[in-house]
Amino acid sequence: MTNQNTASAAKGKSSLNKLGGQKFIVILVIIGLFLLFSVMSPNFRKYTTLVSMLDYSYYIILMAIGVTFPLITGGVDLSIGTGLICYSLVGGYLISFHDFPVIAGILVTVLFGVVIGTINGTLVALMDIPPFLVTLCTCMITRGLGSIIVGGFGITWPNAIAPGGWFRKIFKLTIPTDGKPRLLPIGIIWVVLLVLVMSFVLNHTRIGRYTISIGSNKEAARLSGVNVKAYHVLAYTISGLFAGLAAVAYSAVFSTVQPGSGAGFELEAIGGAIIGGVSASGGVGSVTGSMLGVFVICLLKTGLPFIGLQANWQQIITGLVLIGAVLVDILKKKRG
Amino acid sequence: MEKFKNSPIVKKIGLNRILLVGVLIVMYIIFAIISPTFLSYSRILSALNYVYFLGFLSLGVTFVIATGGIDFSIGPVMFCCALVAGYSLTSYGVPMPAAMVISILVGACFGIFNGYLVAYCSIPPFIVSMASMNIAKGLASVFTKTQSVSWPQSSAEGGWYRNLVKMGNIPVGLFIFLAVAVVCAIILNKSKIGRYILCLGSNKEAVRLSGVNVKKWEMTAYIICGTLAGISAIFFVSAYTTVQPGYGDTYNNEAIAGCVMGGTSMAGGLASISGTVIGVFIIALLQEGIMALGLNKNFQLIITGIIVIAAVYFDVMGRRRKN
Amino acid sequence: MGDVILTMKGIDKSFPGVHALDHVNLEVRKGEVHALMGENGAGKSTLMKVLTGIYTKDSGTITYEGKEIEFHNTREAQDAGIVIVHQELNMLNHLTVAQNIFIGREFKKGIRIDDKRMNEEARKLFNKLNIDIDPTAMMGDLTVGKQQMCEIAKAISHEAKVIIFDEPSAALTESEIEELFKIIRDLREQNLGIVYISHRMDEIKVITDRVTVMRDGTYVGTLITKDCTKNDIINMMVGRVIYEDPKTHSMVPDDAPVILKVENLNAGKMVQNVSFELRKGEILGFSGLMGAGRTETARAIFGADPKESGDIYINGEKVTINNPQDAVKLGIGYLSEDRKRYGVAVQKTVAENTTLATLDEFVNGILIDKKKETEIAQKFVDSLATKTPSVDQLVVNLSGGNQQKVVIAKWLTRNSDILIFDEPTRGIDVGAKSEIYKLMNKLAEEGKSIIMISSEMTEILRMSDRIVIMCEGKITGTIDISEATQENIMNLATREIG
Repeated sequence: MTNQNTASAAKGKSSLNKLGGQKFIVILVIIGLFLLFSVMSPNFRKYTTLVSMLDYSYYIILMAIGVTFPLITGGVDLSIGTGLICYSLVGGYLISFHDFPVIAGILVTVLFGVVIGTINGTLVALMDIPPFLVTLCTCMITRGLGSIIVGGFGITWPNAIAPGGWFRKIFKLTIPTDGKPRLLPIGIIWVVLLVLVMSFVLNHTRIGRYTISIGSNKEAARLSGVNVKAYHVLAYTISGLFAGLAAVAYSAVFSTVQPGSGAGFELEAIGGAIIGGVSASGGVGSVTGSMLGVFVICLLKTGLPFIGLQANWQQIITGLVLIGAVLVDILKKKRG
Repeated sequence: MEKFKNSPIVKKIGLNRILLVGVLIVMYIIFAIISPTFLSYSRILSALNYVYFLGFLSLGVTFVIATGGIDFSIGPVMFCCALVAGYSLTSYGVPMPAAMVISILVGACFGIFNGYLVAYCSIPPFIVSMASMNIAKGLASVFTKTQSVSWPQSSAEGGWYRNLVKMGNIPVGLFIFLAVAVVCAIILNKSKIGRYILCLGSNKEAVRLSGVNVKKWEMTAYIICGTLAGISAIFFVSAYTTVQPGYGDTYNNEAIAGCVMGGTSMAGGLASISGTVIGVFIIALLQEGIMALGLNKNFQLIITGIIVIAAVYFDVMGRRRKN
Repeated sequence: MGDVILTMKGIDKSFPGVHALDHVNLEVRKGEVHALMGENGAGKSTLMKVLTGIYTKDSGTITYEGKEIEFHNTREAQDAGIVIVHQELNMLNHLTVAQNIFIGREFKKGIRIDDKRMNEEARKLFNKLNIDIDPTAMMGDLTVGKQQMCEIAKAISHEAKVIIFDEPSAALTESEIEELFKIIRDLREQNLGIVYISHRMDEIKVITDRVTVMRDGTYVGTLITKDCTKNDIINMMVGRVIYEDPKTHSMVPDDAPVILKVENLNAGKMVQNVSFELRKGEILGFSGLMGAGRTETARAIFGADPKESGDIYINGEKVTINNPQDAVKLGIGYLSEDRKRYGVAVQKTVAENTTLATLDEFVNGILIDKKKETEIAQKFVDSLATKTPSVDQLVVNLSGGNQQKVVIAKWLTRNSDILIFDEPTRGIDVGAKSEIYKLMNKLAEEGKSIIMISSEMTEILRMSDRIVIMCEGKITGTIDISEATQENIMNLATREIG
């Protein structure tokens, strides 16, 4: 009797370990890549490289946190990349040209993301249109919309020393020292904090529970009296919200935001999530895993130029890594 | 109206297509009223430039959607073809005909890659598309060292290729495009390839149980799509000569829009080449009209996005009602 | 046995073309396990669906705890205390056991879901039921048997008073069934009313108190289990009048060669050591109850599903069949029970479906010879008397019987020598049925060999030259038609009382 009990307990753990196991491997990969690049290039070992890598990672991690939710429902959100640029352009435009206080600009940016995310969710959950198609369209729509609203020019959010530049300090503090001023990438603290919060939401609240249920067996969830449609929409709203937050992070880290850019960001976020253990067929995933997956991608992105590969290789490699990650997922399912 | 719907001619051509042609004509008239330059021959020729390359993309993706899949890597793949072939032409001195072959081969290779991953590895088509879209962009940038590539002007050596689009005032491209469309229609409706593609899009398992190698035919659809993207690249440069790496993804949506507007169902099994052709004309006219109104490309992006969502929504609703 | 808790009286339900329930009665008492028996399609599931509000009845009354009631959905029934444990489990494999049990009604602590309390409550439930399952285990990691236990626990947690088990043992192992019975007995002790739907005669004897038998949508009678024998029940189940003349003797000449020989075929739990022979011109009936493994056997032979071991000989030669392509090349045709999913491409035309397996013969260079295709399709439309305005009609617009004819035409075009008909007349109306029968007889006369899987006793007795009976993945017997009776077939199809 007790034997059986422990046996079934062990079995339950094994499935948890599957996800944990993947995280462990991803951490090893991160360490391995880090060591590889450090050994091969002395320049990579510099503090500034680390800071710039973190700068790159914030907005991708934020997008990845958000997109983890639609992915777990078995869908996808391709609109987060161009969406991010669109929200940032609109927020920055209001600040620069319409005297919006920075805080209001940030709010608009985030809200815009929420609105687009909710539209995506409505089209997917209530109107039954395939998620990739809906978000491919909103990807193009936000791209056009951003350019139109700002008139096709790049937008600069206030810089660090300008009035209203405080928001940049959220992500990077400058500490004056005797010699050169030291940069402190405190953005990582907020990002990790958000990862923890959303981890909690995914694992310990109804939102997360039902998100997983939709990806696992939507019909069973519906028959259990869960308002499946509402939670399905919500998954996309969360994705939009985090694309909005990512837009703020992007605006704080980079000097100008160019209309028409942003395509391809979604690949880095979705790729990171899938490397981190989110299943392309839904039902499985973790927010911390997604974050770790993004680190792999950011390491490649930052490290490859140091060992003599152009930045463009990174695009190719990210694509291949994504396919590899999905293949592994499919093979695992076939065997298990 | 009922009488009109049931008349034999309407039934033969299809109500959907008649409506589409109507839309096309009405759009043209509206644009012509707003901007009389629409009546000029040169304006029509310039609108046609857009039809050719987009048309080939749209024809290709029709085959993929007929299987119930999707390929939204075609835009960047088309650019990758044009860049790789163009760079070979300008930097390695490859002769023009060989450059064209390279372009088509690069497209076909992407088709094989996408098709293999979807059909034999069972990776969801949207993931494959997303990955290969970025691979195509990256590859093009790496190959050209992130430089834009200009194919030769008409007067330069090897410039004859531009006659593919326009010889004097004759829109040669239109004839080629329509000819290819006819070939595609024959393949889709009258050949074994098309039959299997449509049937497996309708019910893959039933086709498999009939002893058909479904994986092979599913992959074939992607190869056709890739090859047509390679051809599309030739017509793109024939019309515009210059290509920049890192772009091309806006054309995905326009190609898919042309296709779904023409009555090809996202669920697979139902496709119409003639519908796609008319759809492409509408998208091209829209693009020209938006420019004539003094608006920029961005409006095109938004309108195309809305068109696709609307077209697919009607398709979903139509199927739901039938069930 | 206690008081009556549930009475269904004179329940009537019709679907277009089918009188599914014809004044059926059922009475369940507290502290009773009540078996509901009948052949496939006797109306057991329909009756339960009427009870739990999935279908609305046309007439009749349902009295529950002394009040007349009518539920409009399963939720209402559940809230009133009537729950059903389905044969097909509706589980969320990516959540834990406790999370599954309380899905849609989680305990909360602020905004946080109180998983700890849910685990405790689930543990209490399991203790009450004497089940040993870890509430924190992932549902997807459990065996089907354990999943079933969870489903039961979920049902109990709704404070159920009546629990319906719909063929709960179909997917369970021997020891899991033991455990299930223990739970059911416990529930009986706790004075719940239990309806137990099963085909397995031995289980009925072991676990139930009373048996209600249904046949063709009608109520046959209710027996007290311990006072009746297996034969009593079988006689009630099969007592159907057979209108058509059953075959009296085999039509196959004694010297007919063996066309297909299957030896020790294994494919999962549903196909164990299956061996049989099929002779030229023979109609070999495969009889058995639902879940006996007949379809699985057919699919394994056809290469549609992987097999583990076993040899297949065609015309005495050993052949390898790894996928349907191989099977089709060797002249086997498979007509699935689920035509819409596995048989036809419904959005395509009659002609296109007819030539699906033989397209190469219709290709002229690269183009399909539409004229030839139309001719052949028309030929079969005529010879099979398929009712369709033209061969260009979409298959979706045809009736079930005519869709079946299109599938038959597909394999006849291929000139397949061995045809596997899996439930050839399911969902087909009476008139079309006899046409299909005539056709099958004609095919056999012409020298085709046919395997016919059927759950309808009349069909088996009317069509087969020989009958193979399967039970739980094994062949339990082969009877020549001259010796076959409903009783001896049913005897072999159900497990012996052990």
